[in-house]
Amino acid sequence: MDDFIIYSGYLLLLVNLILYSYSFFIKKKGISFYVVFLVFSFLLQMISEVLFLLKMNNLVLFNFFFIGQMVLLGLFYNKLMQTIRQKTFIICSIILGLMVLSVNFFLEPSQFFKFNLFQIALTSLLVVVFAMMHLYNILAGEKEFYYVTIGMIIYLLGSTVLFFVGNLTIGLSTEFKFFTWTLNAILVVLNQLFVLFEWKNSFYKKAVQTKLC
Amino acid sequence: MLKNTPYEKEIVTIIFYTSGFFIVMAIVLVLFFYFSRKKITQKEIEKKDLEIQYQKELLSAVIITQEEERKRIAQDLHDDISSKLNIVALNSHLLTRPNLTDSEVLEITRNIIDLTSKALDNARKIAHGLLPPVLDKFGLHAGLQELCLEFSSLKDVEVHYNCNSNFSLLDNDRHLHVFRILQELMNNSVRHGKATTISILFEDINGFTNCTYTDNGVGFEIESSESKKGLGLKNIESRITFLKGTMVIQSAVNKGISVVFNF
Repeated sequence: MDDFIIYSGYLLLLVNLILYSYSFFIKKKGISFYVVFLVFSFLLQMISEVLFLLKMNNLVLFNFFFIGQMVLLGLFYNKLMQTIRQKTFIICSIILGLMVLSVNFFLEPSQFFKFNLFQIALTSLLVVVFAMMHLYNILAGEKEFYYVTIGMIIYLLGSTVLFFVGNLTIGLSTEFKFFTWTLNAILVVLNQLFVLFEWKNSFYKKAVQTKLC
Repeated sequence: MLKNTPYEKEIVTIIFYTSGFFIVMAIVLVLFFYFSRKKITQKEIEKKDLEIQYQKELLSAVIITQEEERKRIAQDLHDDISSKLNIVALNSHLLTRPNLTDSEVLEITRNIIDLTSKALDNARKIAHGLLPPVLDKFGLHAGLQELCLEFSSLKDVEVHYNCNSNFSLLDNDRHLHVFRILQELMNNSVRHGKATTISILFEDINGFTNCTYTDNGVGFEIESSESKKGLGLKNIESRITFLKGTMVIQSAVNKGISVVFNF
């Protein structure tokens, strides 16, 4: 059952990756950074799966994923922002975040091989703040990337807490060890469903409309 | 005890980060709601301002139209009636002069009769222009038929009038608006559009009466500021608002005009 949820998350991610790439490269619709983010997520998921199967520590990748997620989603929301002030805020936040994290890793290199709580909190919070800014922008306008944003906020709020207790769960017995990861996998599936729904809403209909024209 | 220390430290860190995360999250959410409320209120104020602006423009259009109408009536009365009555008065004075020959009396009387009948005729025309009696007595259909006849006979334009609806006399107050809208459209078509063919079609669709008006005139650019400012169009718009109907205008330069409205 756990495997089923995890693999359906991967499958949904792959489907979304294909759909968004199709819309971006063929129909010239969407934002490049989001497609890059999907590719990045998929690649990291696959590599970490391989590392898991080889029984190697994949937490380095996990830390890397969080940083990549912040940068790529930051750039994605940066594209969606409407004022120079908002754009500057996002770019400055990303640079500042990266600098703080570099110092953090420099001071404590061991953090690379476990759940770095500071990093998880900082990157997730920044993405949630960017997402909130985007929600604020689309309050009275067209709902551009609305479902993606909602899905991302729900996922990050849930999964961040699960990752916080990550270091603790390592010490648990095998019976309960994977419980948090099952919960996380459900959140991933939910998030990917939101992403899929966004594609159906924003890109699929438009593709049909263009055909009709 | 010593064995548990790193474990406890871990738990404390987790608690610290979790609570910190939720506190920051709560602050972000509160800020989000604060700014959202502000934005929504601002948008609503902007919307209301626009509505007020629109109402003001309509009101001023109504006032200007009223003044223009008064000016026109005053001019009509002055040119067509007062001037003739003046001459009638002058001629009547002539009659009071002594030693007039019979032929002179006859001449003056003929003049008076002639001028009074002209003045009467003009008075009737003015009254007719203000509110056609046919419209009042026989309803919109007859009123429009007369209007079309008038246009095709006087203004050198071919008018096709087709009516597939029944107009009740009870609705005459509303029909007066429809009559005025069409009068304005036809005047515009002839005066500005230089149209040679006009067609008007009435039909019942989904419980509403639909009117389709088209001409083959020079048309205009709907988005241009000149056409937006037009008093005539504003007047039509306000009448449509009174009728609680909707209107769609389509036109382009040299493509004529098509107006569809329902009531």
